[in-house]
Amino acid sequence: MLYPSDIDAFIVTLKLATSTTLILLLIGTPLAWWLSRTKSRVRSLVEALIALPLVLPPTVLGFYLLLALSPSGPIGRTVAALGLPSLAFSFSGLVLGSVIYSLPFVVQPLQNSFNAIGQSALEVAATLGASPLDRFINVVIPLSKFGYLTAAVLGFAHTLGEFGVVLMIGGNIPGETQVLSIAIYDHVEALEYTQAHWLSASLLALSFLVLLMIYSVNKRFGLVNSA
Amino acid sequence: MIEANIELLKSDFRLRAEFSLPARGVTGIFGPSGCGKTSLLRALAGLEPETRGTIAVQGDDWLNSAVSPASLPVCQRRVGMVFQDASLFPHLNVEQNLLFGRNRLKQPSDVFDLEEFYALMGVQALLGRRTEKLSGGEKQRVALGRALLAEPVLLLMDEPLSALDQNTRNQLMSFLEKLFQQIEIPVFYVSHSSEEIARLADNLVLMEAGNVIEHGPIQAVLGRVDGNLASSDAAFSVLECRIKDYDLPHLTSVVCSGGEILQLPSTDKPAAVGKRVRLRIRARDVSLCLQRPQGSSILNILPAKISDIAKATKQGSRIIKLDINGDVLLAKVSEYSVQQLKLQPGQQLFAQIKSAALLS
Repeated sequence: MLYPSDIDAFIVTLKLATSTTLILLLIGTPLAWWLSRTKSRVRSLVEALIALPLVLPPTVLGFYLLLALSPSGPIGRTVAALGLPSLAFSFSGLVLGSVIYSLPFVVQPLQNSFNAIGQSALEVAATLGASPLDRFINVVIPLSKFGYLTAAVLGFAHTLGEFGVVLMIGGNIPGETQVLSIAIYDHVEALEYTQAHWLSASLLALSFLVLLMIYSVNKRFGLVNSA
Repeated sequence: MIEANIELLKSDFRLRAEFSLPARGVTGIFGPSGCGKTSLLRALAGLEPETRGTIAVQGDDWLNSAVSPASLPVCQRRVGMVFQDASLFPHLNVEQNLLFGRNRLKQPSDVFDLEEFYALMGVQALLGRRTEKLSGGEKQRVALGRALLAEPVLLLMDEPLSALDQNTRNQLMSFLEKLFQQIEIPVFYVSHSSEEIARLADNLVLMEAGNVIEHGPIQAVLGRVDGNLASSDAAFSVLECRIKDYDLPHLTSVVCSGGEILQLPSTDKPAAVGKRVRLRIRARDVSLCLQRPQGSSILNILPAKISDIAKATKQGSRIIKLDINGDVLLAKVSEYSVQQLKLQPGQQLFAQIKSAALLS
């Protein structure tokens, strides 16, 4: 059966995935909206930067984050100057890393779904007296429902499976920064295959359920393209 | 008044428009495809942020580039816009669509009894439906109702009938005609169909290649023989008439404002005697004779006086402007006929009208 430390790893992982997803939806919304409407030349640059975690080995990302978060790194120094606790080897540091790591998984579905909203729905709303914020809340968001669902699920699921970045910047502190994937790795290292099985199978089932949900919802509403 | 003097530069196109029109009735914006009709409408609505110049509606400045580059935002202009494709919100049902603008009014007026309004627009049976289940004509009625419920100071319609089939178009045209008589909101109506314009418009703005070339009351604009419309194949005149009687078999007699009587084929839905109707008569359907023809199968032959003769067009035809007891009628005849008959301004002759469309 599961060790108490495994339960802790479960909780840390869920907490991490939930907070990362919420933060990503908040950041991703204006970012994806800007990308879907701008004609600016820096758009390609921003798109490429956001897509980087798709191709980069997580350890590379983790390594540079670790340098940035260290007491002499730019983020580390700023945090220290503000009198806040260091981000390296802390849960907040993990959230920061996960946000960067899962960014494309949230921004891209949102951007696709914003792109699919024609200009004319927004123009009509404007002529009917809706201000820009009103138009966003009452036209764009309802028309992007499934884009949001896809973004949230992909962001959540991707953070669940994170390993490399966490290993580099989070360390392996049980109950604080030890996530499922690292707990599994530890069990395998210690030849505790039963425990590794338990955790791996739960993660497998959870990920599959989450993806099954999104695909069946998308299919029912015929909106696979917005994913 | 609705006054505009605007310029809009796009990558491959320049719109120049200057006009001043009364803020009542229907103003038709007419011209060939790609002449800038839609751009003009969008500039008036505020949907083209690059527009420069001035727009003033009923004394309110909507745009005054000399004072400030920022124009009044679209959402504060209170224009009702009806697009070609209706553009209903797919996430809202019909009733929610209809009320979208009204719910955003600070103080919706109590002029609208909603039930009555829904009945007028013919949408009461549709209220709970999803928008994708509606037919093309129903969609346009909902779009129009949605715009009107927002109580606009100016209603802009961009080819609202062009995506519909002929039957639905005819029905909606009759509907619009009645509606426009009931509302007091000025309407700008973009179309490339002379039938829609002749039937609905009181004023006319003629456009070509991004420029407003003429504007004013419809009869005056249509009567300008040297205008670009007159020289085109689409030249037509509009006569205001009343239904006189249905005494002849299959024919409707109408009496024009000058007193002449015309016979027209009866339509499926005869209008009441005494009702005002419009006739659209294409210039190419009017021919001229020096003497009254005898034994002609053409029913409508009217005495007329030539008031103006246009220069010859490239195709070798000329537009003749006729005065029929004060009504203006355009006739298109060949350059050769003008010389053979020695036509001159002031000359008395007879106009044969081969066909006239009774509108409504």
